[in-house]
Amino acid sequence: MTDQATDRPSALDQLPGELMMWVLIVSELLVFGAGLAAFLAVRITDPAGFAEAQGHLHRAGAGVNTIVLVTSGWLAALAVQAAEAGRPGRLRALVAGAIALGAVFLVLKGAEYADLAHAGITFETHAFFTFSYLLTGFHAAHVMAGMILLAVVAVPASPRAVETGAAFWHMVDLVWVLLFPVVYLL
Amino acid sequence: MKYQSQKIALAYFLVAMALFAVQVTMGLVLGWIYVDGNFLTEVLPFNVARMLHTNSLIVWLLLGFFGAAYYLIPEETEREIHSSKLAYLQLAIFVLGTAGVVVTYFFNLFEGNFLLGREGREFLEQPRWVKAGIVVAALIFLYNVSMTVLAGKKTAITNILLLGLWGLALLFLFAFVNPSNLALDKMYWWYVVHLWVEGTWELVMASILAFLMLKLTGVDREVVEKWLYVIAALALFSGILGTGHHYYWIGTPGYWQWIGSIFSSLEVVPFFAMMSFAFVMVWKGRRDHPNKAALLWSLGCATLAFFGAGVWGFLHTLHGVNYYSHGTQITAAHGHLAFYGAYVCLNLAIISYAMPHLKGRDPYNQVLNMASFWLMSGGVVFMTFTLTFAGTVQTHLQRVNGEAFMDVQDQLWVFYAMRFGSGVAVVLGALLFIYAILVPRREVVTPGPLEKGRLDHDADHVAAE
Amino acid sequence: MTVTRAWLALLLLSAASTGLAASGAHGAVFVVLVLSLAGAKAHVILSRYLGLSAAPPIRAGFDLALGVVLVLFAVLAIAA
Ligand code: HEM
Ligand code: HEM
Ligand SMILES: [Fe+2]
Repeated sequence: MTDQATDRPSALDQLPGELMMWVLIVSELLVFGAGLAAFLAVRITDPAGFAEAQGHLHRAGAGVNTIVLVTSGWLAALAVQAAEAGRPGRLRALVAGAIALGAVFLVLKGAEYADLAHAGITFETHAFFTFSYLLTGFHAAHVMAGMILLAVVAVPASPRAVETGAAFWHMVDLVWVLLFPVVYLL
Repeated sequence: MKYQSQKIALAYFLVAMALFAVQVTMGLVLGWIYVDGNFLTEVLPFNVARMLHTNSLIVWLLLGFFGAAYYLIPEETEREIHSSKLAYLQLAIFVLGTAGVVVTYFFNLFEGNFLLGREGREFLEQPRWVKAGIVVAALIFLYNVSMTVLAGKKTAITNILLLGLWGLALLFLFAFVNPSNLALDKMYWWYVVHLWVEGTWELVMASILAFLMLKLTGVDREVVEKWLYVIAALALFSGILGTGHHYYWIGTPGYWQWIGSIFSSLEVVPFFAMMSFAFVMVWKGRRDHPNKAALLWSLGCATLAFFGAGVWGFLHTLHGVNYYSHGTQITAAHGHLAFYGAYVCLNLAIISYAMPHLKGRDPYNQVLNMASFWLMSGGVVFMTFTLTFAGTVQTHLQRVNGEAFMDVQDQLWVFYAMRFGSGVAVVLGALLFIYAILVPRREVVTPGPLEKGRLDHDADHVAAE
Repeated sequence: MTVTRAWLALLLLSAASTGLAASGAHGAVFVVLVLSLAGAKAHVILSRYLGLSAAPPIRAGFDLALGVVLVLFAVLAIAA
């Protein structure tokens, strides 16, 4: 290739990790971003109803879940370093920790869902719940997928694979730190 | 043509083009019935003509895809197709099935029969025996191409193409799921219709475009492959849950309104990426390929697909808008430009590219071919505009003011008359295309001063014929 | 900043969000503060966990997009 357009190193080449994972991360951010914006837009039509509905969520549990997830993300980031340092034992231990914290997240989340279900609250109860179930449900599904992915990449334990798995996991973190304040706090 | 078995594509393309002619002619009949409601009511009722129009569209597009696969897979894998015999058998089954469908729709001898009667779900009206035939033919096809790919070189283009083709064949199985509950019926119906055009077919489109770009522009394979994977990932990410944009009003739970709106809005992205891909490749490429017509169709495909699927799709995909526009002429406007841009142009591009190789001669009649592009595309774009106006007026009168359906239709007559006019252009364009492809000729035009200068001074530049 | 320092920063930011929420504050200032904290957390995750600190132009792009989205959120939240 001789023309200059291809010789100039593009910004894309600086991207750390797997290009396809970044495509996924950006896509997910767009989806959740649009969902949260729609949530806030619909909230304008009924602020009191939304505030009342929000009271049924486990605010404290969700706050704890933030800590759980960012800590899990930290373990995953350390796991990438362990993989790069060629220490598979340490890597697997760290990944196991990250997955375990993912499970803790799901348990806390499950407790909230159980309480809501117990109170007879469904998707249809109020627009607030349509959104909160959709957004947190989608997110929880990603937590599950991320746990599986982490377990899978820990098997070959190559730096590239672990980095890709961890990137997905960080995306799950990232979505949560944006979702949590909008759905639970505002 | 480097491989003998690529010749199979010729037969597929010929049948495809014949059905293409039938399809657009049927469109014209439909267009006239819209102008004069009593036209042919006894011989060829609207619903029958409509079935023939849409079914022949799908069948010829599929035949084109199969032909494209048989053409490009040997080149990509550097192998002959596993079995030419099976490929022709597959084509024969399709032709038989198509004949069966025409007879069934036309004479309707077996209404209600489990095996022989038509099924009456748009696009999937074929009697069950034909559906079974399609499955058998698809299995033969998948076996044939998969064996070829497994034995040969695997490239990103064959990977994505096979993924798309396997996906589309497997999704067709939902055509057999036909619950009597209408909401469920529709739910499964979209698994075929939507997940075809906004999922698996998109993969086929991206891989065929990638092949064309590789050949026509001479850009490095690595660059093409990176784009291809990104486009495929974007298409699946947005398209699968994008199905929700058909679940707004059919009795499915309310949350689909948000899932559908959000994910289907993202469906614009892969179409935009495909358009960018095509133009960036041409801009970066240094090859001055003699087959200008194939390049024109490829660029036209990417561009019109972006407008038809991306822009006209987005226009009515948010549930707040769709609440008013659902099932109006806006839908028809989008359906025409999207199908034309994405899949008709794609097939005509690969046919324009492959035919000279298949017939072992230079790309003749380039100018006629390119003229047919402008005529046909101009016709479809104009038709899209008339239908969009018709749909906007219809939405207002019918959905906002609450006037009765037929009263509104009466007021839309002028738009339908113009749509018929644009349809004539489309049909003429289609016939011109087929002529340009099939009938050999030399030099249609003599190069003007500008072109002459390039021919004299630029060693790479090849004359269009 | 190592990933461990990033983690500590995230814990601090989360504590700040929790404290803010527990204070019972509300209104426009509360909205802006909570969303700013969220933006800061997202920035840390992108830079350190996802490694964008190695690619400043890309990180700047993400920050810009994030900023726009958070402003939109703030406007919508305050409008309610
Ligand atoms: C390559 C060109 C064409 C393509 C890809 C195409 C595609 C389609 C599709 C997908 C539908 C179903 C639309 C829906 O369900 O909303 C349809 C219906 C129809 N098409 Fe075409 N068509 C083409 C050419 C034409 C032409 C030339 C005409 C003539 C004017 C025409 C007139 C119609 C009419 C009247 C209908 C029925 C709409 C209805 O039921 O209200 N089409 N076509
Ligand atoms: C090449 C790709 C595409 C093709 C061939 C296509 C074709 C069609 C056709 C034929 C219909 C009418 C179906 C029926 O009979 O009811 C339809 C409906 C629809 N399409 Fe597409 N489409 C494509 C891509 C898209 C995209 C990307 C979007 C969104 C951004 C979109 C949004 C819609 C919507 C919302 C409807 C339902 C319209 C209604 O409610 O009546 N389409 N499409
Ligand atoms: Fe669709």
